[in-house]
Amino acid sequence: MMNQTDTSKFPRYDKLITDARVHSSLYTDEKVFEDELNKIFRMGWVFICHDSEIPNAGDFVRRNVGREPVFAIRSRDGEISVIVNRCAHRGNIICQEDKGNTKALVCQYHGWAYDTKGALVDVPYPGGFKGDFSCHGLERLPLVDSYQGFVFASFNENAPPLLNHLGRATELIDRAVEMSPVGRIRLSGGWVRHQLNCNWKMLPENDTDGYHVNFVHPSFAQAIRSNYDEAVLDDEEGLKSLAKDWGNGHTELFFSPSYTRPLEWFGCAEDRHPAYTKALLAAYGEEKGGRILRDGPPHAVIFPNLFLGEMNIVRFEPVAPGVCLHVHTPMYLEGVEDDVNKRILRQSEGALGPTAFLLADDCVIAERAQNALQGKGRWLDLSRGAEREVVADDGVISSHLTDETPNRGFWRHYRSVMHPETPTSGESAVA
Amino acid sequence: MISVEDRLEVEAFLFKEARLADESRYSEWEALVDDDMHYWVPLQESQEPDSDQVSILNDNRTRLATRIRQLNTGVRHAQLPPSRMRRSISNIEIEKTGADEYVVRSNVVLYEFRRQATKELEVWPARVEHKLRRKDGELKMFSKHIFLLNSEGSIRGLSFII
Repeated sequence: MMNQTDTSKFPRYDKLITDARVHSSLYTDEKVFEDELNKIFRMGWVFICHDSEIPNAGDFVRRNVGREPVFAIRSRDGEISVIVNRCAHRGNIICQEDKGNTKALVCQYHGWAYDTKGALVDVPYPGGFKGDFSCHGLERLPLVDSYQGFVFASFNENAPPLLNHLGRATELIDRAVEMSPVGRIRLSGGWVRHQLNCNWKMLPENDTDGYHVNFVHPSFAQAIRSNYDEAVLDDEEGLKSLAKDWGNGHTELFFSPSYTRPLEWFGCAEDRHPAYTKALLAAYGEEKGGRILRDGPPHAVIFPNLFLGEMNIVRFEPVAPGVCLHVHTPMYLEGVEDDVNKRILRQSEGALGPTAFLLADDCVIAERAQNALQGKGRWLDLSRGAEREVVADDGVISSHLTDETPNRGFWRHYRSVMHPETPTSGESAVA
Repeated sequence: MISVEDRLEVEAFLFKEARLADESRYSEWEALVDDDMHYWVPLQESQEPDSDQVSILNDNRTRLATRIRQLNTGVRHAQLPPSRMRRSISNIEIEKTGADEYVVRSNVVLYEFRRQATKELEVWPARVEHKLRRKDGELKMFSKHIFLLNSEGSIRGLSFII
């Protein structure tokens, strides 16, 4: 660590992060990583799944919250529980399949059985079991809440309400689901797990970095014409898109000002999907429906692990200081013709994942950065455009697309989480 | 049963296709492809090509042309410099499905040295299914489906021709 005289347990985040720069050890230090798993991924709210992934009673999906294996499961009363995937007896994985449907959860080691809310209901050879069933349930995450079907959870029963964490960014989620004329999305396309050998924070940083596009993606720009020509690839004076900091670490590249006609964001002619156009106008009215058709979906990160990637939904998973996963699925719309969802699927395969026209290049650039940050490290500059930011009445900060406004917003929130005014009681939970 | 001559011709095609892909000779590789090509890496072993399930890669002929064009720009960072690769093909089973058409199933293990960034050796084991037809006296492929063993696991960047 850079601060050799500091004898406190945790790195001095207040010193390692300023408004103008961050220290590279935040990407490489094992202690920082363990501390993040506790303070961000256990004590805060984390995106788990969308309720459309588990529509029926007994449906479940497995996930990781930091290093904790969990699963989300829907009970007969419709409630969604997020449960640590570990038998209360001897700690075996209780839910083995990645997704599925079940009436009960039975451990394959000694046969302890639990209901869909994690309560212990049966123990084989009960004569030797003198415990209390009610004390041997599975560990449920104390807080589970959802917004527009996006299910979030926290290990911290004292975390502030989800709506406090989302803050103004509920508007970003609203914009995503309002791409559907019935206001509903469906994540039924399966998840591709793309591994990058870089620190997980490079994912939210890069996904809302508008400065790199011309340099990392010239091969894309040369090989294919797309809506990104106008939105992100113009010269400094020509770019109309904006970089935004929504507060609480939520950030956006706002492409909509670059679009001048309906469905430009969808890479097609405005009359290509007449039924979809008509349905949106009917559902939201000429003014708002027309705006949705012209503006398109958000390109925004919800801190810490959800990316509303236009017509994709992405989860960020930290694995180790230098390893993370970018996990994506197409954001299907309810209430539209199949050809709209088919276009969403094909665009998802083109833009995201290991083979993609875009993300494969970001991956190599991030892995090179991770390599460069090893060793003693150095300071990384975050100051671009700080003097030309505009703060709106609602507090959202906007700046030129190429400015580091989103990165500053991410790190400002990160610092407030990692270095609160008073020390938290996180010590015992550090692995 | 297919003839020995047919088998030798199909195997020679597979080995040439593998060599051109290994050596990142993108345009020469593309010359082996017919107009109705489907180049596909599904997410799941049992996936149907036209399902609503996302694929790791799912190129029709137009998108494949874009992919080759992007690799040929010389500024595709993910392949700068190109991975060094060698793949071994075995267990080749050939089925004749028409007068001049074949379905070829094989096992492939591809070794990739990722010299763009992390300098690691990555191994890509897969079941591969080619569909070939004879056109103007030469074999062309109109389908290549690559079923990665770890498709549902964590996948590293895959920007080369697999």
